Amino acid sequence: MEIAYALEHPVKLKLNLHVQGFTVLLGESGVGKTSLLKALAGLIPATGQPFAGLRAEERPVGYLPQHFALFPHLRAWQNVAFPLAHLPAAQRKQKALAYLEQMGIAELAERFPRQMSGGQQQRVALARALAREPQILLLDEPTSALDMATREEVFGGVLERLKSLQIPTLVASHDQWLAQRAHQVAVLTRRGLVQQGPADEVFTRPATLEVARLVGFRNLFEGRVRGLEGDWAWVESPLGVFQVARPDWSMLGQKVWLGLRSEEVFTLDGPQNRVQGRVRRLSWQGLRLRGQLEVGGAVLDFLLPRYKQAQLGLAEGQQLEVALEPRFLHLMPS
Amino acid sequence: MDDPVFWRTMRLTLEVSLVTTAILLLLGVPLGWVLAHKRFWGKRVLESIVLLPLTLPPTVLGFYLLLLLGQNGPIAQTFGFTWAFRFEGLVVGSVLFSLPFALNGYREAFRSLDLDLIQTARTLGAGWRRVWLEVILPITWPGILSGSILAFAHTLGEFGVVLMVGGSIPGKTQMVSIYIYDQVQALQFGRAAEASAILLLASFALVYLVRTLEDVWRSRMPSSTR
Repeated sequence: MEIAYALEHPVKLKLNLHVQGFTVLLGESGVGKTSLLKALAGLIPATGQPFAGLRAEERPVGYLPQHFALFPHLRAWQNVAFPLAHLPAAQRKQKALAYLEQMGIAELAERFPRQMSGGQQQRVALARALAREPQILLLDEPTSALDMATREEVFGGVLERLKSLQIPTLVASHDQWLAQRAHQVAVLTRRGLVQQGPADEVFTRPATLEVARLVGFRNLFEGRVRGLEGDWAWVESPLGVFQVARPDWSMLGQKVWLGLRSEEVFTLDGPQNRVQGRVRRLSWQGLRLRGQLEVGGAVLDFLLPRYKQAQLGLAEGQQLEVALEPRFLHLMPS
Repeated sequence: MDDPVFWRTMRLTLEVSLVTTAILLLLGVPLGWVLAHKRFWGKRVLESIVLLPLTLPPTVLGFYLLLLLGQNGPIAQTFGFTWAFRFEGLVVGSVLFSLPFALNGYREAFRSLDLDLIQTARTLGAGWRRVWLEVILPITWPGILSGSILAFAHTLGEFGVVLMVGGSIPGKTQMVSIYIYDQVQALQFGRAAEASAILLLASFALVYLVRTLEDVWRSRMPSSTR
């Protein structure tokens, strides 16, 4: 589904967005993600296609606000039956139960919202949105009301169900975990939509420094292109000179940004791109070890899986040499 | 209570209170919604005006109403009818005087309503009629009812306004609180005591009901908005 929308208030925003499968609109708070969803749902004024000129109640969208907005006075099945008012009473309940079944929570049909957990409420709200038979699903920060620790467990199943539905889904989120699992990612900043494409492309090849920060690049260095040959470029940076996959826009002498994801620092034992430094600030983050490698005045952030630390036995203060995979070093225009 | 005048007075008082409460419901619910959720120029002025009867001496309000509704008042001159010293006058005075009590209840009920619910209901295909009947009223009714009961109880015991606008014509415009005052003036302490006890019990029962409704209401609110 192609979306071309312009809104003035509460944020000024104009964008063309391609929604395909499960699409995450990634951006920090305040850039207008929620406003765009509300505009699409007809809840705030905007111009553009699709649904131009239709009132909220006439738009075929399934809108799910951040806190799910279940009607507190209605049981789960009555909530799901709310958009089914055009059906005779007997069919309403039957159909509502079918949608609850689809979300895997048929057994909660008679419960009131206050008797359900956050994850359960979310599934009821999704079943209700689906009962509207929408042409597009709009989800506002679906993982923010869930506990981080159980997010994967609670939302993972929902995500699989949503992906299998074949309904275009636009998700406003700043959650990288969620964006990494999307079909498509569109990055929204204060300057508008800056990049959209398949999730792996946006996460490995961010178009700008801003996008790189947003998708979790911690290692970002200013550099200059010192050599070009075939598919490769040689870039001078505060860490040394590195061989890097050559983007088609690169020119000799050009100032660039060099980016590398923390989890891709320990990838190679080859002869290229070797960096030596002193290990500091080791700390466990869940089952992964985060640390820094001090190289001259620069710092390289890294994230190690547990088995790797078991092999290496890193300790703070020790000297360490790593090799950086040329294909994982990413260049962006400065 | 053996005085037939008291029972006629009581009946009139209940009639005035009921009609007043009904009018407040029709007037106050939309007004409460607007004050809770809309922003517009002059809102603070409007809020101050509707809250004014809380601090204004009832006799002052009654005096202005008497001028407005009386024989030589602007209403009589423009439309040719006089509501002073009549049932209608009592109702107009009571509506204005009890408005802040009803309105506070309505406004609080609407204010604590999560607007996401309304927006979501619309995206689910509900027009404004369904939104009001199936979402707003079913969730906020305890607050609306408690505002109405408070206004009703307040009208029951009204004195200053109804004395000014209605006079104290027994059986026609005499309300219970004025009846009690008249009995005391006539040194009929027995009747005054009985009438006072009846009002005390009624008021207590009504306020108790309001408190109960408030608890019901709180327990209905979803945890995310509490």
